Amino acid sequence: MGLTLAAASQVTSAADSGFNLETVDPEADRIALQKYFKARFPESEISDYVNGIYAVDAASREQWEELEEFPPYEFDVEKGEELFNTPFANGKGYADCFENGGIGIRQNYPYWNKEEGTVKTLEQEINECREANGEKPLKWGKGEIAQVSAYMAWTSRDKEFDIQIPTDDKRAMAAYLDGKKFFYAKRGQLNLSCANCHVQGTNIAIRADLPSPQLGHVTHFPVFRSKWGELGTLHRRYSGCHKDSRSNPLKPQAERLRNLEYFQTYMSNGLIANGPGARK
Amino acid sequence: MKKSLIIAAALALAPTFAAAESFQEAFEMNRAMYGTDHTFAWNGKQYTTTHEEEVEARVKPTKANAEALIAKAEAKNKEVAELGFEWKLTRGIIKDAKAAVAEGEYQKALDLAAQAKYHARIGIAQYHYAQKNWHLSVPQ
Repeated sequence: MGLTLAAASQVTSAADSGFNLETVDPEADRIALQKYFKARFPESEISDYVNGIYAVDAASREQWEELEEFPPYEFDVEKGEELFNTPFANGKGYADCFENGGIGIRQNYPYWNKEEGTVKTLEQEINECREANGEKPLKWGKGEIAQVSAYMAWTSRDKEFDIQIPTDDKRAMAAYLDGKKFFYAKRGQLNLSCANCHVQGTNIAIRADLPSPQLGHVTHFPVFRSKWGELGTLHRRYSGCHKDSRSNPLKPQAERLRNLEYFQTYMSNGLIANGPGARK
Repeated sequence: MKKSLIIAAALALAPTFAAAESFQEAFEMNRAMYGTDHTFAWNGKQYTTTHEEEVEARVKPTKANAEALIAKAEAKNKEVAELGFEWKLTRGIIKDAKAAVAEGEYQKALDLAAQAKYHARIGIAQYHYAQKNWHLSVPQ
């Protein structure tokens, strides 16, 4: 009897860890997620999850590898480079706004900005750079912002994500927890959470689609989606996902979506940046 | 001896557990099986499977009644939007309800407003469910 109770309390304490500000443990979350996918898809290497569904579905991978022989995002990377290097009207450029001239830094985003008390994303800082130099901000979902972001991602390929959650600012952990909660909360008329499709539902057909795994989700953005026929940002994809579950999506770069990106990217720590990507 | 007593107790209790159905479960099962306006018994009392919005739409189809229900739907939808759990189709349904009022189709407007208010009300319930249960699918 005593042993049974002791065992039960251990199960309880393991099961309710990490769900509030006092107990949330990002590293435990990341390791648990890796273990989950390792158990679901023992043949797949963790490092291969940067390739999304193609890490776990052989038939899709075959098609994707053929697609990658002539990557559909190639022209966008070239255009992005041209835009990146075209000076603003005041003579300055994107390189003046970013660390290391904006080259090889994609893996550092998103990050916690203590001064502003918020999560900052790459696309957000691309637009802030423009506004600080007297240019109009770009629309968030596609077009030039995705092209500049794609070029910056291209220069960062193979660099490991190492997203930090500073321990000296509780707001950073609160933002992470908010993103985690968003990911696992059911919403919309179809009553689906992100996790329903991208954790439990990974590689299980939804009509003709196979949902990708949450692990490695953000590493390859922006992406050229065959469905879109063009390049798009992560927050454009967030909008699409929410519409698919018949939820009214938040606006791109809304605080909660940046928190979601913070959580998701932390889950991919240790994986490499491989954007831009090509997806169905 | 002890073991057999436990098994007997478990068998005796099993039907009790199976019968312990919440009102919500009973309502939803009957609604799914029989649709609206079906009468069912729960814990010795009679209930119907009618949603509160369906009752609200069963008023005289006048412009004033349609506009009043649309206003209720808008207020409820504002509430769920503030929680971040607004459903995708609700605003469009409210828009269609207003168009029906403009066309003088007041019963249609009432039915659409009722549907929109139902979406918003269930979205709010979904928000509260999420607050309590979001952690259940987190891998451990």
